[in-house]
Amino acid sequence: MSNIHTKTAVDSIVRSPFQAIAAVFVLGLTFFVGTLFSILVYSSNQVLGHFETRPQVIAFLKEDASVEDISKLQSKLLEDARIKEVQFVSKEEALSIYKEATSDNPLLAELVSPSIFPASLEFSLSELSFAEEVIGDIRGESLVEQVGFTANLGGESSLEDVVTRLKNITRYVRIGGGVLAGVLAGASFLVLIVIIGMRIATRKGEIEILDLIGATSGFIRSPIMLEAIIYSVVGVLVGWVLALILVLYSTPSVVAYFGEIPVLPKKTQDFLALFGIILAIEMVLGVILALLGSSLAVARARKKR
Amino acid sequence: MLQIENVTKTFGSIKALDGVSFKVEKGEFVFITGPSGAGKSTLINLILGKGKPTSGKIILDGKNVAEILPKDMPAHRQKIGVIFQDFKVLSERTVRENVQLGLAVLDVPQSEWIPRVNKVLKLVGLRERAGLFPAQLSGGELQRVSLARALVVNPKIILADEPTGNLDWDTADKMMELLEAINREGKTIIMATHHQKIVDKLKKRVIKLKGGQMEKVVKKDKK
Repeated sequence: MSNIHTKTAVDSIVRSPFQAIAAVFVLGLTFFVGTLFSILVYSSNQVLGHFETRPQVIAFLKEDASVEDISKLQSKLLEDARIKEVQFVSKEEALSIYKEATSDNPLLAELVSPSIFPASLEFSLSELSFAEEVIGDIRGESLVEQVGFTANLGGESSLEDVVTRLKNITRYVRIGGGVLAGVLAGASFLVLIVIIGMRIATRKGEIEILDLIGATSGFIRSPIMLEAIIYSVVGVLVGWVLALILVLYSTPSVVAYFGEIPVLPKKTQDFLALFGIILAIEMVLGVILALLGSSLAVARARKKR
Repeated sequence: MLQIENVTKTFGSIKALDGVSFKVEKGEFVFITGPSGAGKSTLINLILGKGKPTSGKIILDGKNVAEILPKDMPAHRQKIGVIFQDFKVLSERTVRENVQLGLAVLDVPQSEWIPRVNKVLKLVGLRERAGLFPAQLSGGELQRVSLARALVVNPKIILADEPTGNLDWDTADKMMELLEAINREGKTIIMATHHQKIVDKLKKRVIKLKGGQMEKVVKKDKK
């Protein structure tokens, strides 16, 4: 049974190839933008996550801070819901970090001793927006000498700027990409309705014959819906493959630009898994789009009859 | 089998059918004749469920056609084999595919398609033309495709609306021989025609319509 519907749908596509190309082109463009938007959302989340989870705040401790006091402060910080991953860095550890950072110039490392580096407590925040508040609280602690904030984008001078800029970038990516993908999805939907409507008009005689010989609505609708699904599936594949090629092509530049920030998965299998998930979601959305578009076109055609 | 009870059908102020009543028994061959505009096609359409009578009843196989719900209409039409003057075959499909369509509509398993299609194609003399497209066939052959599509589903009744209207006499005569043979096998046939020569030759019961009204019923069964 399905063979006859598939044949009808394929015949219909072959008979009017330019309509089919137009439908696939618009759907392909939509899912191309959709795939890139999904990657952008993923990457912006990764950037945000990177800054939110790395040690962002360093509380440099006073020279006379005892091990017991440091331990108490560490426990207190650990209990704070705004704070996570508290780590104690001793003077010796600070020196070794310094040495590693200046490994290309050993002379600089020879000039310093552990005594000039203060011990510190490094921690990250559950959300960047808590930064200012938490730093204010930490500054009030008696054994804290100074507080430093490591996140820095584009040379902003205040903490608020850093947080605001990161949040804004993420928000603009989501809103802008979402609106663009939404507009394109709407355009695809309309193009599908128009093309399926034209198909129904050209198959009017055939539909009348099927109706007279006792075909059910489902039987008449099936090839029309199948045709829309074929457009959508091909459109999804075209858009997804083009986006994959573009991302693969630009990955070296992107990775070099963002450095240690993992904007894209580093492992091939994680990278493929990410694109696989996007493809699966787009396939489902494509089929829903096709079913809704063709149902609406069929409903309109029946109303006209 | 079929009961037409005082059926009237109006289109605006025009009365296409006016108080038509008759019965058709199982296995009967009945002609509905009359000039153009007499209401023959309207009656065929109403039996098919294409539109409802303004008044009166059409009862087929114990069911009032006017009361059949839209969702049950396909099942009603599947009981009827229908042949049209303009053949109504799908131009993009081969003879075999056109005939198979009837089986596909009935959801008959595909394993049964080939033997059943071959059987009816042989019956209508189109076995050798199964792979051709409608554009490659003559008018008589197209009408036989239409007949094969109607027969393949083994319908309870065959409605033929001017099936010889577009055919020359020889082709029409062959078509009628086929319909008669099918009728002899027990199929009920109702055929609308204004081809008097055919009506006279077959000597079957004739229901004459004029201006939407029944003129007379002529019983001319040659058996």
